[in-house]
Amino acid sequence: MSLAELKLPDYREQLPEVAARFRRISQREVILRVDDLKKSFGANGSEHIVFNNVSLNIHRREFICVIGPSGCGKSTFIRIIAGLDECSGGTVLLDNHDVSGPGPDRGMVFQGYTLFPWLTVKRNVMFGLEMRGKSHVTAEAEARQWLDMVGLAKFEDLYPHELSGGMKQRVAIARALANEPRILIMDEPFAALDAQTRCQMQAYLLQIWKKVDVTILFITHDLDEAAYLADRILVMGSNPGRVVEFIENPVPRPRSAAQFISPEFLSLKKRLEELIHPPVETGEEEKLPMIKLTVAGDEVE
Amino acid sequence: MPVAGKNNHDWLGLKKELSPRRQLQLTVLSFVLPLAAWALVSYVPFLWHPLVRVTSAGDVDYFIEDMEVPRAQFEQENAKMRAQNMTPAEGMRVNPVYFPPPHAVARAFYTAFKTPPRLPNEPWLHESLGHSIRTICWGFVISSIFGVPLGVLCGTYRFFARLQEPFVEFFRYLPAPAFGALCVAILGIDDPPKIAIIFIGTFFQQVLVIANTVRKVDPALIEAAQTLGASRLKLLFKVIIPASITDIYTDMRILLGWAWTYLIVAEVVGTMSGITFFINQQARYRNFDNVYAAIAMIGIIGFSTDLFLAWLGTVMFPWKRRRASVLRKKRSWFPPLWPEAIAPVSDEEKPNMQADVAR
Repeated sequence: MSLAELKLPDYREQLPEVAARFRRISQREVILRVDDLKKSFGANGSEHIVFNNVSLNIHRREFICVIGPSGCGKSTFIRIIAGLDECSGGTVLLDNHDVSGPGPDRGMVFQGYTLFPWLTVKRNVMFGLEMRGKSHVTAEAEARQWLDMVGLAKFEDLYPHELSGGMKQRVAIARALANEPRILIMDEPFAALDAQTRCQMQAYLLQIWKKVDVTILFITHDLDEAAYLADRILVMGSNPGRVVEFIENPVPRPRSAAQFISPEFLSLKKRLEELIHPPVETGEEEKLPMIKLTVAGDEVE
Repeated sequence: MPVAGKNNHDWLGLKKELSPRRQLQLTVLSFVLPLAAWALVSYVPFLWHPLVRVTSAGDVDYFIEDMEVPRAQFEQENAKMRAQNMTPAEGMRVNPVYFPPPHAVARAFYTAFKTPPRLPNEPWLHESLGHSIRTICWGFVISSIFGVPLGVLCGTYRFFARLQEPFVEFFRYLPAPAFGALCVAILGIDDPPKIAIIFIGTFFQQVLVIANTVRKVDPALIEAAQTLGASRLKLLFKVIIPASITDIYTDMRILLGWAWTYLIVAEVVGTMSGITFFINQQARYRNFDNVYAAIAMIGIIGFSTDLFLAWLGTVMFPWKRRRASVLRKKRSWFPPLWPEAIAPVSDEEKPNMQADVAR
């Protein structure tokens, strides 16, 4: 039985505590305001639009996930917010200030870890602090605190290549957070990890987010990940890239793996499935033009 | 019967790490094989030995003792003698004088350092070598003082790359020895023109090679540093240079090898000096064993310098060391000298340096 056939409540129905939480969030100040953002390549004649008409407000300490099919421009979208790419139109305001170029107020965690291989774990975390002019002693003390928080204090003198993927990504998170950014942008940070480590990292991330005053903008292509982590989910569509829906996640907090089979979770996931993988017209899975190469009666299914 | 997962006997496994012991064996063998070939040709008469050294001239009127003649000529003269019932010459088959056997070169290796030069104003071998090393060091250091920063600038900023590289690319094709006469005219006949030629030979390659290496820095690292608040100059000094320093170091090791090739050309310019002078002088005296010894000496100096630099690299750049092996856990302060130390250049890291330059 597929998700589409299940009898589930509407994903817009919220429990009283969830609705109350969203009301509280919407009363907080707006950290990031994106207005009619557009990105395109080429001249007016043969213009290729990556995405346009993207507008949203993100409040302080919200956890936002961005999902969408490949080619919808979600990576470009957050690279513009990080200041690594330039937009073709519209505005991005962080704390009511225009964003131009990358800066330490927008921390970034990349899929490929991007730790500096020539620095030890501790020096990696100290990097941003030293860039901002903190003294070596202060930076070191603060770096230790952040490493403590991600549970890597005893690995501070190792080099990145001596760590596992999950540990590297925790160092990268600590390094980004050490700068105390207003918003933490994460570009599919756990996509390269194995399933088990990814679950652990998601739980870690939620713990860290609870302890630190930071707003998170998290890109993923994993619907479960988005439903597990996010307050609100920005669903983008492609050709051209655009916002399809900005969904309030009905799953109550605190989150746990047990909620993966709760009605709220499943109804949300069903909605996301509909948006990301619209039902194929025929309903029939496409058959591969393959002749049978096995002995008759030797079936795997 | 072979046990699954145990392929210790697979010497030719593709992309398979050989055990350290096996690596050492092969390294030794790589030297032993050419030596063995040399010894075979030198000591087994019927393999080559194209000449005959006359031991007794017999009745051949123009033969004298210790004269070396081609085998065909020797046989021809003896056939004539036998036809006229005269005494044929006797002799033994030898290799030409320019192909001394290993033991002669080994002996020369030892004696060359102990034998005083024939003329009082000629240098000893060690003095010649010292002179050569001095020349090469000056040339390489001066080239690096300008070449490395310029290469880094070109690799980092498009502005400098556009401004410098087309000219450098053009100049790179001008053979350094072509500047010999010019260098002598400007700088005199002693060491300066020689240093200048090594400089010309090294500098332009250096700029291009290092610029290419710097360009290969992972842009994601630069972006990560930017989001952490690093700005222009700090990006250069705290990210781009540290990120490429190990590869630059490897480039420098290879370039130093190239500098040695220019040395021999450079030393002929003006008054001949250094090891080239020694080699030429010995060749003139027909002491070919000394010539080989001197050439081998260059190889030994070059190879051991490179080994030393490779080892020094693992000391200076601890993040490049491979994962702790049992050996390294025991004495982590002392990186192994052999054979892993030379791996970085020979392995995957620099397979297409020539290609980069030729780009």
